[in-house]
Amino acid sequence: MTAPELPRRPPAVGVRGLTLLLLLVAGALSYEGLGLTAAGLWPNEGGLAVAREFFGRALTPAWTSEARFVPPGTPPLLLDALGAAGRTVLYAAAAMSLALVIGVVLGFLASSSWWTLGERRGIGRTVTGALWFVARAVIAAMRSIHELLWAVLLLAAMGLSDLAALVAIALPYGGTLAKIFSELIDEAPRDAGEALRGAGAPALSVFTFALVPRAAPDMIAYTFYRFECALRSSAVLGFFGFPTLGLELRQSFRSTNYGEVWTYLYVLIALVIVFDWWSGRLRRRLVTT
Amino acid sequence: MTGASFGLEGVSVRFDAFPALSDVDLRIDAGEAVALVGPSGSGKTTLLRLLNGTVRPSAGAVRVDGERLDEVSRRRLRDIRSRLGFVPQDLALVPNLRVVQNVLSGRLGRWSFLGAARALLAPPRALVREVHALLDRVGVAEKLYQRTDRLSGGQRQRVAVARALFQEPSGLLADEPVSSVDPARARDTVRLLTELSSERRITLVMSLHNLELARAAFPRLVGLRRGRVVFDAPSDDVPAGAFEALYDLTTEELLGDGA
Amino acid sequence: MSGAGRDLEIDRLRRARPRDRFVRRSLFAFGALLVGAWLVGGFDLGDAFSEQRLRNVDRFLGEIRPYPLQGEAWDHGVFLEWARGLWVEKGALAVGRTLGIAVLAIVLAALLALPFSLAAARTVATPEPYVPSGRPPTRWNRWAWRGLVGVTRTGLVFLRALPEYVWAYLALAILGPTAWPAVLALALHNTGILGRLYAETVENVPTGVPAALRGLGAGRTQVAAAALGPALLPRLLLFFFYRWETCVREATVLGMLGVVSLGYHIADARVRGRHDEFVFLVLLGAAIVLAGDLVSTWARGLVRRAS
Repeated sequence: MTAPELPRRPPAVGVRGLTLLLLLVAGALSYEGLGLTAAGLWPNEGGLAVAREFFGRALTPAWTSEARFVPPGTPPLLLDALGAAGRTVLYAAAAMSLALVIGVVLGFLASSSWWTLGERRGIGRTVTGALWFVARAVIAAMRSIHELLWAVLLLAAMGLSDLAALVAIALPYGGTLAKIFSELIDEAPRDAGEALRGAGAPALSVFTFALVPRAAPDMIAYTFYRFECALRSSAVLGFFGFPTLGLELRQSFRSTNYGEVWTYLYVLIALVIVFDWWSGRLRRRLVTT
Repeated sequence: MTGASFGLEGVSVRFDAFPALSDVDLRIDAGEAVALVGPSGSGKTTLLRLLNGTVRPSAGAVRVDGERLDEVSRRRLRDIRSRLGFVPQDLALVPNLRVVQNVLSGRLGRWSFLGAARALLAPPRALVREVHALLDRVGVAEKLYQRTDRLSGGQRQRVAVARALFQEPSGLLADEPVSSVDPARARDTVRLLTELSSERRITLVMSLHNLELARAAFPRLVGLRRGRVVFDAPSDDVPAGAFEALYDLTTEELLGDGA
Repeated sequence: MSGAGRDLEIDRLRRARPRDRFVRRSLFAFGALLVGAWLVGGFDLGDAFSEQRLRNVDRFLGEIRPYPLQGEAWDHGVFLEWARGLWVEKGALAVGRTLGIAVLAIVLAALLALPFSLAAARTVATPEPYVPSGRPPTRWNRWAWRGLVGVTRTGLVFLRALPEYVWAYLALAILGPTAWPAVLALALHNTGILGRLYAETVENVPTGVPAALRGLGAGRTQVAAAALGPALLPRLLLFFFYRWETCVREATVLGMLGVVSLGYHIADARVRGRHDEFVFLVLLGAAIVLAGDLVSTWARGLVRRAS
């Protein structure tokens, strides 16, 4: 006699619960492996002095230069900071325009709708398939190297040059845009595209005029978000000698002019917040559903 | 302009192991208006998609204006398709484009890529006039420059019809275009399509769930059940019992293979 | 309708078409910014192709050939020996540390982000979450909650506005060269990002279940644990892995400041002018970023599929 089969009882801890547990364990292991101690979070005497002095100026950022010798006719610090902020925006914008070109071209090539829409066979199919594969590989290569590593590579190869900064940001950002663009296009509903294929429209037209417009609002919103990231990257490039906010910040910190450091920090924060607000509002308007 | 004619000769379609259509013979002459009726899964959509070559038959031949679709070149197939308007069940409009652009996209099959880019981004006045006239005919001229997703279900249907008409089709295939609107709206749209068919000599083939509507609006009905043609007759000759037979699934069938 | 009449009608409809001014202006301004940057920026690009620069590039390309093979014929054995040596000497430990920093940082960020996200969610941080309860709240009470939301949100914005690199730079000067500055920098920046994402997710939880529990007399923490938690867990995990991916990228780089991750060895090789090691380590960094991407994609798939 066989007992009737009972529905299996679900496990008490599901895959997600287990994942959560594993993550906590991984965190603890990392803590051990890195040889960290809670005491390490408290600065030593020298560090404490720096901290006291640095945080002491948090609410009183400098309005004028704190350097010991200020040559006459030096513009006020805020003007300086705004100039650096402006250069930060310019580097980010120029790099972003390059990244956008890379992203659009590679993103279209790397989307699979692009070649599954057609009814290509034989050689045509092989060529489109190969293009798709190459595009994916190029995207992965560009994305996997961090913009600062690109910057260091380019600096080592050609020395300090504007082009190095722009290309350093444009390559990984272009790759990321391409990846996201291709995913957005592939995820967009294809009903209209297939209907138009049924009405005899060629694949390229369907792709461009039925699939891309559907993904466009998300693509625009994402581009804005990436620009906000580009601002941060552009600021950090200053630490490597490019004339953006990072350069001023590092110089002021090194000369222990902490008031100035706070001025630059606040300007950077304000810059990012303005673009964060802008891109957030645009996203809400564009992506309505 | 004369309407398209269609012919199915011993056509069967199998999707993997599932027989969607079995051994169907059907002739539809130029300028006819035919309704396909039958329950879900009876093969109506497959039959319609055979007619514009978006489904390939597993056996048999499909002819459009006498040409066998499996023998024409890819280029020629596109030409044939560009003369066959298709209004799918889900309408398949691009929601975030304006109505005018959705209608214009009906002619993508006849434009080169650059021509299409120009027509959609900066349409010449002559084209806009044509679109407006069509929208006027289907009753939504006011919506010319509205975003498509701001329209009601009935209005969107009309836009989909206008897009198909903008192809200047000789045949119009409609796959349950009225399944998602209220009965009054459905009647209006079906009437509109049959009127257009007779006034422009466009061959019309439409699949419908609503039998009363089909009988009232179409001169010829084709009944499908489990992939076979059960009846094919002038509407007045179809006995009332035939309709019930289409939908009456025996218990055995329901429990059996779930078709 | 006559031709002229139709034209008038079309013009009327066109003028009356709905337009989103904000979106149009934003796009225009953004486009202008991208183009304008090239006109105003005064970037000296021609300089990048000057003879001296090209000579630099040429020399650099020569120097990235593995050191023992420079000026020698290519030999696979020697190459493998060189690569293995680098991996054993520096690579392995640095990769382990980089991953450790990324994992610890994102776990800390997720833990920190949870309470912040509840305090920043307008559906929870209010005097009467989900359903009215008893006596209507006083105006003062209302303002206190609103203040909490405002302060939390501002704090989160500050945390995420500063790049990880800047956080690490400041922390390093104060805490000295342990792994803490890198961990803290990543944790703080990501707390800002995860806090915002989590808060949005909390606000988007359908109100049915939490409202029903509140109706039964459950308190705030009980609602959070019993109703919000289960509804949120999948999304929280998705965001977690998505951010972990970027943590791996950033952890690699933060070492350049002098912290013990891969970036430290990269910067070191660069300073010593050993461009062969330098490029090898950069490629190693790329490899762990790719591996991190794969792991994260796999884990997110797992979380999404688990029901």
